[in-house]
Amino acid sequence: MKTKSLPHDSARGHVTGESVFLDDRPLQRGELHVGLVFSPVAHGKILSVDTSAALALSGVAGVFTAADLHHNLWGTIIQDQPLLADKTVNFWGEAIAIVAAENRATLAAAKKLVKVEIEALPAILSIDEARAQEAFIAVERTILKGDPDTALAQSPHRLDGVFENKGQDHFYLESHISIVYPLENDQLEVHASSQHPTEVQHLVSEALGLRQSQVTCIVKRMGGGFGGKESQAATFSAYAALVAHKLKRPARLALSKDEDMQTTGKRHPFKDWYSVGFDTEGRIQALDVKLFADGGAYADLSTSILERAMLHSDNAYHLPNARIVGRICRTHNTPHTAFRGFGGPQGVAMIENVLEEIAIYLGKDALDVRRINCYQGEEQTTPYGQVVVNNTLPALFDRLSETANYAQRRTEIQAFNASSQTHLRGLALTAVKFGISFTSRFLNQGNALVNIHRDGTIQVSTGATEMGQGVNTKLQQLVAEAFAIPYQNVTLLPTATDKNHNTSPTAASSGSDINGAAVVLACAQLQQRLKACLLAHWAQPVRGALEELSITGQEDTSQILFQDGYLVHKDNPEQRMAFAEAVNLAFFNRISLSGYGHFKTPIPGYDRDAGKGHPFLYYTNGVAACEVLIDRLTGELKILRSDVLMDLGRPINEGIDRGQVTGAFVQGLGWVTTENLVYSDTGALLSHSPTTYKIPNIQDTPREFHLELLENEEPSNVRGSKAVGEPPLLLGFAAWAAVKNALSSTHAHYNPPLRLPATAEVILSCLK
Amino acid sequence: MRDYILFYLNGKRYEVRGEQAFMSLADFLRYERGLTGTKIVCAEGDCGACSVLRGEVLPEQDELRYSTINACITFVHLMDGTHVVTVEGLQDEQALSPIQQAMVENYGAQCGFCTPGFVCAMTDLVNHNAYQNPKGQTHLDEKQIRNGLTGNLCRCTGYTPIIEAGKAVNLAQFTPLQKRYNSPEMMAELRRHRSVPIRIQAGNKDFYAPLSYAEAVTFKQAQNAQIFASATDLGVQINKERSNPTVICSLNLVPEAHALSESGGVISVGARVTLNELEHFMRGHIPEFARLLKIFASPQIKNKGTLVGNVANASPIADTLPFLFVADAEVELTGPNGKRRVNINRFYTGYKQLDMRPEELISRILIPIPDPADSLRLFKVSNRKDLDISTFTAGFRLRLENDLISQIAIAYGGVAATVLRLPKTEAFLQGKPFNLETFQAAGAIARSEISPISDVRASAAYRLKLAENILLKLYHALAPSPAEAVGV
Repeated sequence: MKTKSLPHDSARGHVTGESVFLDDRPLQRGELHVGLVFSPVAHGKILSVDTSAALALSGVAGVFTAADLHHNLWGTIIQDQPLLADKTVNFWGEAIAIVAAENRATLAAAKKLVKVEIEALPAILSIDEARAQEAFIAVERTILKGDPDTALAQSPHRLDGVFENKGQDHFYLESHISIVYPLENDQLEVHASSQHPTEVQHLVSEALGLRQSQVTCIVKRMGGGFGGKESQAATFSAYAALVAHKLKRPARLALSKDEDMQTTGKRHPFKDWYSVGFDTEGRIQALDVKLFADGGAYADLSTSILERAMLHSDNAYHLPNARIVGRICRTHNTPHTAFRGFGGPQGVAMIENVLEEIAIYLGKDALDVRRINCYQGEEQTTPYGQVVVNNTLPALFDRLSETANYAQRRTEIQAFNASSQTHLRGLALTAVKFGISFTSRFLNQGNALVNIHRDGTIQVSTGATEMGQGVNTKLQQLVAEAFAIPYQNVTLLPTATDKNHNTSPTAASSGSDINGAAVVLACAQLQQRLKACLLAHWAQPVRGALEELSITGQEDTSQILFQDGYLVHKDNPEQRMAFAEAVNLAFFNRISLSGYGHFKTPIPGYDRDAGKGHPFLYYTNGVAACEVLIDRLTGELKILRSDVLMDLGRPINEGIDRGQVTGAFVQGLGWVTTENLVYSDTGALLSHSPTTYKIPNIQDTPREFHLELLENEEPSNVRGSKAVGEPPLLLGFAAWAAVKNALSSTHAHYNPPLRLPATAEVILSCLK
Repeated sequence: MRDYILFYLNGKRYEVRGEQAFMSLADFLRYERGLTGTKIVCAEGDCGACSVLRGEVLPEQDELRYSTINACITFVHLMDGTHVVTVEGLQDEQALSPIQQAMVENYGAQCGFCTPGFVCAMTDLVNHNAYQNPKGQTHLDEKQIRNGLTGNLCRCTGYTPIIEAGKAVNLAQFTPLQKRYNSPEMMAELRRHRSVPIRIQAGNKDFYAPLSYAEAVTFKQAQNAQIFASATDLGVQINKERSNPTVICSLNLVPEAHALSESGGVISVGARVTLNELEHFMRGHIPEFARLLKIFASPQIKNKGTLVGNVANASPIADTLPFLFVADAEVELTGPNGKRRVNINRFYTGYKQLDMRPEELISRILIPIPDPADSLRLFKVSNRKDLDISTFTAGFRLRLENDLISQIAIAYGGVAATVLRLPKTEAFLQGKPFNLETFQAAGAIARSEISPISDVRASAAYRLKLAENILLKLYHALAPSPAEAVGV
């Protein structure tokens, strides 16, 4: 065990089974089981909803429809989605009615008794259909740099193509769930599995016609989130809250895995049309690309997700001239939503594929093409005008190609492919440059509450939610380090909107950055007070009942340090006081032991109308090499070896960061290989459980896996660290590129029409 | 006759009567006993979050034998005569077990939802290799860990930290479950109950566990009962509301049903013999079949699922069937008038249609061991190599004489409503020289004999292509001097 890495603060409870997830909470007296009636068609007109038979069933406490809601429209960015479908249904699985019953068996029976009559209408189920019918959400967006038309015309070589990726299900193990307890005076205590408790609070109050101050949302932990519980979790709390509020009984709504997969949004499918001009070395002169996202039936977070896809269409590569156009298609699929990477993976996949195709066209090694295009120095600008500084990309490329033994393995693979009749091998090395910050500037703020108790232990609460990523452990560490006390003396509290309000979702990899910085500010207030109090005490202890130490908050306290559980005078180590003693000194002199920090990320932001700005505080960079083996007769794929090298700044907790890298990377591997969302012709998801939807299992991870972190202090971020949650997922694309490389090796300049995910069937169809 | 299920839970004796006996084990643990460490995610035995350890009585052993199973697709009545250990029963007093400690120190848990299942599966692995079947190791190796944890999905860690945790466990520091829990009283009590039949009636539900096949047949005939071997598939059907059998007959207490033996070149497999037992047994008798069983399913499923269940389920993609077809296995049916045997090649008459009368049950599968002169090759193609339902399966048995194919049997799965033999392809190959051209030519004939459909797993076109290509794979697998070793 690495000494500088604390274990996850919930690890002990997780391994003993003591950790409490929402459905582990005991049923309260009178608690109702809540379920939903979903649309069985992708698009249709609701003719009638008959709840009488369900209501007549013994043990049914209530059935609710759109008319029971105070306000039946929601949407994080654009309010365009009914909570309960009223006149029309616009995707398969859209909620139409809420059923509340005394037990689970009755609930299951009652749901079948709600009779919904729907007249099916023609449905738009693909990007192509939506484009043909000009069905879009929001406006077209453009990022323009230089003069791409002239540069394309003048480029020695030009390629035009289409790249297509499918979606991905989050497959968090804990499906959507919410429990709501009604309190007095129409107040509600909402326990949610949500990355965004503030949005839960706001949606519940709005849907029910309550004041925001009447609703408290509490999130202890999630059994995985990955973006799937950023916006869409709020709706399930609203459904349970309606039952709890109307019937004045505790209400629990827990989706089954099948329901969760069938009815909630996925990573966005994209289809991109591109033209790229380049010189004989493969150096890109101009990129002209149109990105089309399948947004599903309603806006959800699609506008922001498309924006991030556009902002990542350069990835790690300098584009001297670029036109990046983005559009969201309105279809009758589930409203697609945030998923780790948030559009970034789609933009990156597009450009990485372009580089692979340039290499195939020129007959060059794709690594050489990538290396020549990657951002150099500290002065090059992105298509949206941000200068790429603290640029570790060239160093990352060079180090990994050496440690992964790229050149030698390339030679071996060529020899293998020339001789084998049954198998093919492929190798690719791809990169990620991921912009850290929400692209909507107002979200880049956070607050933290740090309370010191009389025994010297500390409770901390922030807007960050814990979904396994270890944000609580990092915050615990920051506080323990600030006061030089044992980490066991610092406890992270459940996230709750009565302690931290107006918070941002735990998303965009920024949970530790924003909330960590707020915690540091809160600690600084307390440090200042404790030190000033101690200085005053050392200068002149109180004499008698009528005296009291007082502080101004402006004192120079730099001569006092927090060391090994003590406050110590730096010039005179003999002069010191134990932390808990100093706490009591402050208490008896009526000095506040509560710190509240508010942090805003110092960035100018992004002007989306102009397609210009400085949206990101910094970039998290990395590279990965993947080698794959393909069975030429069945298309089956094995990942033989992966090497990952990342620049994560100076990690707060290296053990946790390494776990984020391995987890995100394998999730990326899943997206590009085995995770295949299959829909019926009428828009129902067929692969809605692990029997048919294959996330990587323990045998699918690379046989050989190397992970190295490049230490590179990030001056702009909390304690020199960098965000880690999303970026490594984008490195999973190396496996897809390696498959394309293997397939292309059979004939000179063969550009296989490989789609994403590269399932065995898709791979076999590309073998020439 | 008794009217209760007897089992031990984390060392404590339980008698369960009435409705509770019909609950899924996971529901019973979570909602009746408050043991919420056991999680329910997929409710179909595919994710392992509900993994618990089950100790079983073995003949003439004074300790139980433990293995992991999925609590979501088993039932309380199927736990009769066992000791169930959940994640809550794994700590050494207040201290974490070495497995739990290693998971903490190596960041094996992130969100924590899959963690109890992983801890149980890893405990099984350690208990097995440190105690039940020790090989003198001090630590597990990576291959053992991967194979032992195939039935558990994690979405957070990418598995690397869990593998590291597994490698860090010092086997010598582990207290075997037998040493911790198996008292003489527990053993005597469990053994005593195995000879007492059970009948539990509650509401419209009726459960019967007789001591003989004959009694089971009588009950099935009288009550139109659903036979439960281990219910790995039925459990899924019930959870997903596709089936709801109310009258159940369990073969658990039938001694014959647990018999697995070889005699005169024929292997006899009783109705309750698990796939795990079968895999171990087959290693010494039909290694190629053992190899297929290795990737058949997760440890949790193989510790419970049976060959007879796979045959009775009649799925056209049942992994064992192509083998049974080319091996000319026989299905033994027991009915009111005694036993009869049907060659498995004639057992399936249509999609999920069997040559079996309502009052009959499958008592045994009889498998002739292939002649040593025959080559047996079994293939399974799936979207994910392990723990996945097949897209396509194939079984081949062939004999070469003087570089000519003198005998060949071919069976394909996933290409029609039932597993099929390919008589035209077999006839074409008969007597042909063993070379690549022969198998290339056979492909076109194989295509013509099948009628695959497109479904969630693959298109018909892909299955048709596999039907051809698998013949080339067969050739490459048997080619006298393989052009290369795949060797990766």
